[in-house]
Amino acid sequence: MQVNMEEKNGIAVVHVKGDIDINTSPDIKKSFDQIIKNKKDKVVISFRDVDYVDSSGLATLVEILKRLRSYGGKLKLTNFSAKVLGLFEITKLNKLFDIVDDEVTAIDSF
Amino acid sequence: MSIKTKIEIANNSRLLKKASKELLDTLKAQHVAEEIVFDIHVGFEEALRNAMIHGNKLQPDKKVKVEIEITREEVTIRVEDEGEGFDVSRLPDPTVDENLLRDSGRGVYLIRYLMDEVRYEKGGRSVVMKKRLKKKHIDGG
Repeated sequence: MQVNMEEKNGIAVVHVKGDIDINTSPDIKKSFDQIIKNKKDKVVISFRDVDYVDSSGLATLVEILKRLRSYGGKLKLTNFSAKVLGLFEITKLNKLFDIVDDEVTAIDSF
Repeated sequence: MSIKTKIEIANNSRLLKKASKELLDTLKAQHVAEEIVFDIHVGFEEALRNAMIHGNKLQPDKKVKVEIEITREEVTIRVEDEGEGFDVSRLPDPTVDENLLRDSGRGVYLIRYLMDEVRYEKGGRSVVMKKRLKKKHIDGG
């Protein structure tokens, strides 16, 4: 699993590559420490290269959302595969997260 | 055709992924549809994860027993831990609005949603789940 971050127009864009699961969730959590420490208030996570998310991964994303919200930060998730989007729909997390089709739309919609 | 596997896995999440990969490779070799393999992937890993974390409380000396039977029609998976069990009926629904921000409860929910049959035995220490390998045909009339 790899996490790459870039900044576009003051928005932190995070590209995750690989599964977000019981083994990689702690690393994902750690990757967001700097973003949260710097109180970045606009964050996009791209799931273009994510094929699988387990319940540990879903819980980790919920925790990241809660930490961002604690200082007024906003999070958008984008580029889901149909299968991974299905997991968010089954668990109704699509109601909690702001899910956008593509990265450009996500960035423009802040 | 029937492929039967019986293994014991030490309480280690790396071994969880290894066992999962072996099952998925077997299903792919049997040309099972990709979306059905994905559902089994989620169901199997969530059951193993629950057994290791909630059942065996991450204790390294405890093991998880796994039995898998693959036929042409279905996959049957039993996952059993060495913990104290739990009452599945007492788990809160993770999909209601007031629970969406909670950390836990989604694993069991996903298993029940994605697998065709799920039953808990031995006070919740053992879960048996089935997934049919053929898509239902819908008559167009």
